[in-house]
Amino acid sequence: MIKRWRQILDRRYQQWITRRLPPIKKIRLDNRKLFIFPTRAGVVFLGLLVLLWLMATNFENNVVFAFTFLLAALFIIAVFHTFLNLSGLHIEGARASPGFAGQTAEFEYLLSQTGQRQRYSIEFSHPGVEPTVVSLTGGEVTSIYLAIPVNRRGWCQARRIRVHSVYPLGLLKVWTYLQFNSSALVYPQAIDTALPAQGAAGLGDKAPPENYMANNSGSEDFVGLEKYRLGESLRHIAWKQFAREQGLLTKHYADAIDDELWLDWELLPGLDSEARLSRLCAWTLGFSENQQPYGLRLPGVELAPGTGRAHRDAVLRELALFEQPKVAAGPV
Amino acid sequence: MRPLWQIPRDGLFWLLISVLISIALHFDHLPPWVALAGIVAALWQIQLYRERWRQPGRLLKWSLAGACGAGLLLHYGRMTGLEPMVALLFSGYILKLLEIHHRRDALVLLYLSYLIIILQSLFSTTIGASLLVLMALLPVTAALVAMHGSTDNSRPATALRTALSMTLQAMPLMLVMFIVMPRIGSLWAVPQQNSATTGVSDSMSPGDMTQLGRSGAVAFRVEFDGPIPAQHKLYWRGLVFSSFDGRRWEQQASKAYQDGQFLQWPNQPLAAWDKMIVRRGQALSYRVTLEATHSPWLFALSTPVSRSSSVALSRDFRLVNNEPVVSKLQYPVTSWLEHQLEPSSLPDWRHNIELALPAGYNPKTRAIAKQWREETPDIAALIDRLLGLFNREFIYTLRPPALGKHTVDEFLWGTKKGFCEFYASSFVFFMRAAGVPARVVVGYQGGERHPSENYLLVHQYDAHAWAEVWIEGQGWLRVDPTAAVAPQRIEISFADLFAEREGFLSASPFSLEHLRDIDWLNKLRLKLDAMDYAWSKWVLGYENIQNDFLLGLLGGITPQRIALLLLFAGGIALLPVFIMLYLSREKSTRDQLDRLFLQYCTRLEDIGLARKPGEGPRDFAERIYQRAPSLTVPVDTLTQLYESARYSEIKVGDVQRFKVALKAFKPSRKALLSSSC
Repeated sequence: MIKRWRQILDRRYQQWITRRLPPIKKIRLDNRKLFIFPTRAGVVFLGLLVLLWLMATNFENNVVFAFTFLLAALFIIAVFHTFLNLSGLHIEGARASPGFAGQTAEFEYLLSQTGQRQRYSIEFSHPGVEPTVVSLTGGEVTSIYLAIPVNRRGWCQARRIRVHSVYPLGLLKVWTYLQFNSSALVYPQAIDTALPAQGAAGLGDKAPPENYMANNSGSEDFVGLEKYRLGESLRHIAWKQFAREQGLLTKHYADAIDDELWLDWELLPGLDSEARLSRLCAWTLGFSENQQPYGLRLPGVELAPGTGRAHRDAVLRELALFEQPKVAAGPV
Repeated sequence: MRPLWQIPRDGLFWLLISVLISIALHFDHLPPWVALAGIVAALWQIQLYRERWRQPGRLLKWSLAGACGAGLLLHYGRMTGLEPMVALLFSGYILKLLEIHHRRDALVLLYLSYLIIILQSLFSTTIGASLLVLMALLPVTAALVAMHGSTDNSRPATALRTALSMTLQAMPLMLVMFIVMPRIGSLWAVPQQNSATTGVSDSMSPGDMTQLGRSGAVAFRVEFDGPIPAQHKLYWRGLVFSSFDGRRWEQQASKAYQDGQFLQWPNQPLAAWDKMIVRRGQALSYRVTLEATHSPWLFALSTPVSRSSSVALSRDFRLVNNEPVVSKLQYPVTSWLEHQLEPSSLPDWRHNIELALPAGYNPKTRAIAKQWREETPDIAALIDRLLGLFNREFIYTLRPPALGKHTVDEFLWGTKKGFCEFYASSFVFFMRAAGVPARVVVGYQGGERHPSENYLLVHQYDAHAWAEVWIEGQGWLRVDPTAAVAPQRIEISFADLFAEREGFLSASPFSLEHLRDIDWLNKLRLKLDAMDYAWSKWVLGYENIQNDFLLGLLGGITPQRIALLLLFAGGIALLPVFIMLYLSREKSTRDQLDRLFLQYCTRLEDIGLARKPGEGPRDFAERIYQRAPSLTVPVDTLTQLYESARYSEIKVGDVQRFKVALKAFKPSRKALLSSSC
């Protein structure tokens, strides 16, 4: 019963927080966004004050009164110091580095301030996770990285983060929840299977002969222009000819093509699409590591073979966003 | 076993300093082995931190706790009272030092440090001790700061600086609370520590008061509403002794008085005996600030009326507090120096009390007294005759020879050397033997006028004993036989009289009183005493003047006005904090940016591109593009950074970036287009 009530309360609280603190790109913390309350240690401290006050009253000792009031004044002063440890801090949701489903994606946040205030022990965390503790000692920009576990491929919206500080005396806590609108790309989970044999991955009869004979992958000898077919990379469209109203043509290049690899959706029949993507993902990583050129063919998508990091990322991106919204909710 | 939580280095540093300071503060009322245990525990914690030693095992910890408890029980024999309680708290505190596994444990220690350090103020409330306590609180606050804001390379000084500035900011607020917060008085009885302090005791036997003559401590201070009366009028009555057992003078048991209640409280109807007091002439109002005596009796000029609800007038016309004075007490008094006490006649039971003499003591004095009375029936003449004898043949000394069984006989007809109590005692004995009601009064005589502040300083060495004699129609008359022997004793300060003699102040070897002859030191001594008096008046006895003070400030004391005052004064007290915390930080960035922009302009001016007065950074930049196209990129970057730092709401480190960009910006004359020169 209590548990249910607690759940309801918690949900209400989360809704309220969301309403109050909508997703943002960057933010300057101020009194409208910060909450402040005594910590448990602060409540114990107040108990200590009551004890001292009782002692001062009963012994009718004005010096004890004075020191009791000094500690009470310290508590009040601490409210300002605690609050100002966070107030005025700028937080910007920056890049988010992609991750594989089942692992974590890392979100970067930039911390900065206009002044030279020394800020100590600010805790950043996703609720329920061990916090990252940062101290700012000047006007420099500091990055923090918060990882969240990701399960589904596609775009992953940043989670609400908790910014929390009890500096300087630990008597009061000041905190806020922030929802940034940055997103991380989540690649499919890489399910390791043996790499397909050289050529086997893409040399099957399903590959159209033209593509097999001549590809449009790169920098080799220019062969000629051919009519554009759906699925071909836009990068190779001959825009000059198009401008001269000669129709949509693509530039084709000759290549040493015998050992060309294609990671093809159609090669994995009988598996569901997530399983296929997972295997393709694992293969991508494998070939990329071996520095072998490889291409990607998904229904409606075709990336010509290539090597290098940029190529790998492009392939993984296609795998991640296959049949998913292509545009993230916010900056990547 | 690895600790679950590693205490920050600077946090541990200040924590241990706090513990050691707590030990030092309480050193003189702790068993020495508790202090020693504290130091050992602190060392152990250091070795734990350095991973040299291991955590004490559970068995060791429990046996240590048991040993502490048993040790305290053995040392004090009881566990009630303030000192055993503090010692018990202390041993728990020290044992806790051996198990800091969580931040929580460290916090418990620090809170206990606050408590224990402030507890010191129950033992001593002098300015010096209070300042020490104030300083001792700093490391505790510093430890709290270090515990919550430590970075890997933070130094202990950083935390101390924060603690110091927070404490300074808290001071005005503390002052406001101290002034305004109402004091409600004791809620329940608390154990008081009984430390032996010098002062007038409740009985008098030969030699008692020599102790007081050796002490330069302050007994009480008096602030008069008007001028201070002459020295010879300042007889501060404390106790009246009517009962003599042959050696010791004591107070008459209060139930021996048969006419109504013994104590007359201000808010009660007047006792029957009150009409026996005839008050005449001008009333003299003053406030006495009495040091702790651990006795209930107070000191006042005859004949007093108390203006404090906790102070009563007794049947023998002196003031009594409702409880022992365990800390400084301030009480307002009105006295009528011209007065008559019980002038009409004494009933038989009163005669019996004031004439009673123990049988078998001082036969010679009894015989001579009877003989003198027959020769001199007039009481005044009889007194003069005895005082004349004192004046001619007796010597005043603080080191009198010892007396045997018949103290009065031996003194009057033998040694003839002594000080006030010898004279008072033998005078009263003689008078009673002659059939004249008489009694001994003890208290203080005279006092030192503070040269700059309008108050009187009464020291322990001003303790005095004198006599009161009852004469029909005149009531009780004060007779000071010491004045007959050493008139200067009454006319000038006791200290001036005895400064050269041995024995005086020998119990206070370090007292500044010894240096009265060195002028500037004497001034310093009096200055310090003025401070001490202000301290006791405004701090220690603040509850006595709080009402008047607030009444003067508010024009009426209601909870609403108190709350308003608290808010208003609290706001003012917090103002410096606001200004310091909010304004300074915005200003510093602004200033920094302006300074950097000025540097930028200077560098351009050096190559002949001066900014025109009133020219905006953007216009200035446009002009530079014209004159020196090669500078376009850096100038544009800097201008953009300046603008965004200056005008945009969110300035993500732009000042810092401007600074970095400026560092690389080194324009030279070569960049200028020659044609435009």
